[in-house]
Amino acid sequence: MALVVEAKGLSKRYGETVAVDSLDLEVPEGALFGLLGPNGSGKSTTIRMLTGQTRPSAGTATVLGVDTAADPVEVRRRVGIIPEQETPPSFLTAAEYLRFVAAVRGFAGVEKAADWWFDFLDFGDKRDVLCKDLSRGTRQKLMFAQAFLHSPRLALIDEPLVNFDPIVQHQVKEFLVEYVEKGNTIFLSTHILEVAEEVCTGYAVLHRGRLFATGTPDELRQTGRHLPEVFLELVRQDRGHA
Amino acid sequence: MLDLFIAMVREEWRVHAVLFGPAMFALLPVLVGAMAFMGAFLVPVVDQALPAGDLASIVHVLFLLLGAMVGGFGLVGNEVMNRRFGQASFVAFAARTLPLSEQRIFAAFVAKDTVYYLVLWILPVIAGVALASPFIGLSTEAVLRLLLSLTLSFLSGLAGLFLLTTVWGRSRLAFGLLLLGATAAIGALLLATGGLPPYLPLVLYRGFSWSALAQTLAALGAAFAVSLLLFSPAPTGSERRHPDRFGVLYARLGRLPFPALASKDLLDLWRSGGGVGQVLFSLLIPLVLCWFLLSLLAPVLPSHGVLLLFSVLTGVLASTMFTWLTAFDTPGAYACLPVAVGDLIRSKLGLFALLHVVPVAIVLGAAVLAGGGEVGLPALAMMLGVSAWSVSVTVYLAGLSPNVLVYDPRVLVTYLAAVGLPVVGLVVLALVNPWLGLVALALLGPAHLLVRAAVRRWEAAENTIF
Repeated sequence: MALVVEAKGLSKRYGETVAVDSLDLEVPEGALFGLLGPNGSGKSTTIRMLTGQTRPSAGTATVLGVDTAADPVEVRRRVGIIPEQETPPSFLTAAEYLRFVAAVRGFAGVEKAADWWFDFLDFGDKRDVLCKDLSRGTRQKLMFAQAFLHSPRLALIDEPLVNFDPIVQHQVKEFLVEYVEKGNTIFLSTHILEVAEEVCTGYAVLHRGRLFATGTPDELRQTGRHLPEVFLELVRQDRGHA
Repeated sequence: MLDLFIAMVREEWRVHAVLFGPAMFALLPVLVGAMAFMGAFLVPVVDQALPAGDLASIVHVLFLLLGAMVGGFGLVGNEVMNRRFGQASFVAFAARTLPLSEQRIFAAFVAKDTVYYLVLWILPVIAGVALASPFIGLSTEAVLRLLLSLTLSFLSGLAGLFLLTTVWGRSRLAFGLLLLGATAAIGALLLATGGLPPYLPLVLYRGFSWSALAQTLAALGAAFAVSLLLFSPAPTGSERRHPDRFGVLYARLGRLPFPALASKDLLDLWRSGGGVGQVLFSLLIPLVLCWFLLSLLAPVLPSHGVLLLFSVLTGVLASTMFTWLTAFDTPGAYACLPVAVGDLIRSKLGLFALLHVVPVAIVLGAAVLAGGGEVGLPALAMMLGVSAWSVSVTVYLAGLSPNVLVYDPRVLVTYLAAVGLPVVGLVVLALVNPWLGLVALALLGPAHLLVRAAVRRWEAAENTIF
């Protein structure tokens, strides 16, 4: 199967701090891929490099065949992104923000798509409210909607469920699974391991910026163990060695 | 309250020390003082050229103007109280979890900003003049009086604009009534006594008296207290609703580069409490003070000199409209979009050009009112050329963070040199013959090239805006 994300020796340094260290990663088309790791493990930095928001200090990455360092704008044009922080522009309303995103992306069907998202995530009553006055959960719904507004082949989403209530979390998980079943790919960064185990078709674990383990939930099931258990054990072992 | 103030001062120091390096940030007042020291040697020359006492008036009005330029707290109050950028949460926001009223938190913020401007800008200027005083015939007593009167002049401008913007934020009607009342009171005084009311900081400079000092401090205290009492931050959890204006703007701005980005910036400007308020407090009021200041120089300037200098100053001030368009961009707002830094720069400059309808109207209005209609064209050319050049230097040096200019000495010196030299040359030419002011249009070409270089420079830099 074709690869939609490919990273080779991808690294990011901030002065003395190594945020991501020589990451090799391959994500096939049609996967719901989970990038897992504790806080500060380098997940968000990886997503930022893969979406051209920051340049790698070393190594290369291609997303949908585009070199992320050479043409970051083209990468962002082709994919959908939910960034780490839910920061839509303060002084646009929710509806205006979706119009803005559609206009920047040159997406024509915004009216219908926006209505669908307001209805699906149940926040139509907030469409005329300024983004700065929305609750974190509603801002996250808005960011979710903007990422999928133009139905991208690949979406890179950073902790997308963290501000949602259980009902919305359930809806969103179902949406993600169905989205992938249509042939699209999701690159999901999260530290909620239960979510990853439930919906992901493959995962990679990052710890202290290094790739720590890769696998699939099916492989785990064969061992009779659960992802949170394995993850905690791996991380504790590594901390013991450090 | 004192602890909060100290925490905010520390925070301000750390923010700038992280951005520019602690040594570079600490160097800013030294640089300002050095420039004042060198400038002070012009004092005897200028003093002789002007009617007696006018130089003191000009300097005090200048400090009043500086105060007014930083005193718009009423416009930014709500943003200050909700100041969170990305993962950074500022003390003014975080302090809301403490048992302190929002007025007190805001008072601490205003006090911190006032102290910062005093320490970074005002006191170094006075220190520079003090160091030069033995060489320019200024007595120690005069320097001490200057220290007091210029500080109070700066605080008067700051407190005055703080009061005006707070009243504006509370009620446009009350603001109108306040202006009307002040105008009527000054008019009545003019009719009754034939002169303007005394400007207390200047009175203190010309002859210190405890009563003048007490009156000045009482007026300042009252202005600060009333402003703080009137300040009412938007309650947390309130929801401001607006009908969809994006679509209409997007259609109307279709000829600008990146109309979607320009529409967003215009909505940011309008709904942030800027718009009319920004034009009034960041452009009109400072320019009225500039006109007053320049009119004091009229006796030593050639015909239409005041108008031509006013046009140049309007150009420099107009270039700061670029900061209006960057003030409300949050990191991450563009993170998920196919937008390059160059697109943002070009889009903001397109809107910046559109906003020039305001300074154009100001210069033409000033030309008509001052009876200088025949030199309106060169005046306009000077304003446009200077504004275009200044903004291109700003964008080249600071990219999408023009506020860097105020705090980074390296950037500030480069900016002053790059803008100051052509502006001085232009002023000299225009004073020789007003029509030579048309030469300012020649700045448009280099400005265009500099913007292109700026785009290349900031595209190559690690994106800080994302």
